[in-house]
Amino acid sequence: MIPSQMLKGTLTGCILKIISGKETYGYEISQQLQKYGFSNISEGTIYPLLLRLEKNGFIKAEYRESALGPKRKYFTMTPAGEKELEAFVVNWKELEHAINRLFRMEGKRYEHEDQSFESKKQ
Amino acid sequence: MNTKTKALNRKNNELDRRLNKENNDAMTDMVCYLRVANISDYNQELVRHDLLQMVLSAQERGENIEAVIGGDYRSFCDEVIAALPPKSFKERVLDFIDTLLLCTSILGAIGIVFSKETIEFIRSAVTGQPLNFRISISIGSLLIYFIILTASFLIVRFICKNSFRKEKEQNQRKGRNSLIGGSVGGGVMAVFLLTWRLGGQTIFTVNILAAGLLVLGLYLCHILLQKYLAA
Repeated sequence: MIPSQMLKGTLTGCILKIISGKETYGYEISQQLQKYGFSNISEGTIYPLLLRLEKNGFIKAEYRESALGPKRKYFTMTPAGEKELEAFVVNWKELEHAINRLFRMEGKRYEHEDQSFESKKQ
Repeated sequence: MNTKTKALNRKNNELDRRLNKENNDAMTDMVCYLRVANISDYNQELVRHDLLQMVLSAQERGENIEAVIGGDYRSFCDEVIAALPPKSFKERVLDFIDTLLLCTSILGAIGIVFSKETIEFIRSAVTGQPLNFRISISIGSLLIYFIILTASFLIVRFICKNSFRKEKEQNQRKGRNSLIGGSVGGGVMAVFLLTWRLGGQTIFTVNILAAGLLVLGLYLCHILLQKYLAA
């Protein structure tokens, strides 16, 4: 499981990425995240982040009837949200590059951990 | 509470009835905690609406509230509160004035209706005796007004802030709470004794009709302030 402290800064960008693909709702976003390997992400975990994104004008929300029961809150991306996602991708690539460089330089020390991660995944 | 908030509140109350017992208990704790948070009434109802829809959807899927929110309801609520804009200083002051206007008009109306001068006034009106239009305001009645206001504010805050306290934790704190309860009870008793001793001392008298108009005026100010806040 990814520690929540580690997730904090990145989850917002991941949510924006999912919403940028198609109009979606909270439960579906949490399911998508789980599908990509973010374990234990419930609807409640992402709700405060969705509120913040909505407050900052990065996404728009609208309640609509659902065929399967209570109404659903659907989220769509705004132009400001698209810019925010682009900025996230740039920042993430910079961070990823820096971390990868650091770990490559210290490669030998982490080789066995890579193997244990792969075996855990299997 | 403004019209838009009231409409959402009514809608939420209807949704509330569809929750099962377990989900309803957890929702009550969360809403109680949100009620004393520094966020607007409208945002409180908006969050309540979102949570109700989420929990009802989970109920349809056969999941409970814990699967939606996770185990730590308090942290969840703190994160939600942090994500919403806090009330501005002006909003807080207006909220305080509004509560004060409403409470004063209600307590004032009760005070007028149950005062011994009003009862005397009605008796005289019925029997055709000369009418005394003046009612007296004593130190006691003013003290009771301040005690009721302060106590209700503190009790609501205490209950809401402790809504997530587990039963075990509640038992552990029972002793300490008994001590606090005893002290508060003793304090209230002391004030009531003081009120009883000084209660008879009239500070000023006021015309019963003027007092009634003042109470009505305060209530109208509350309504106008609500309309201003809703605009």
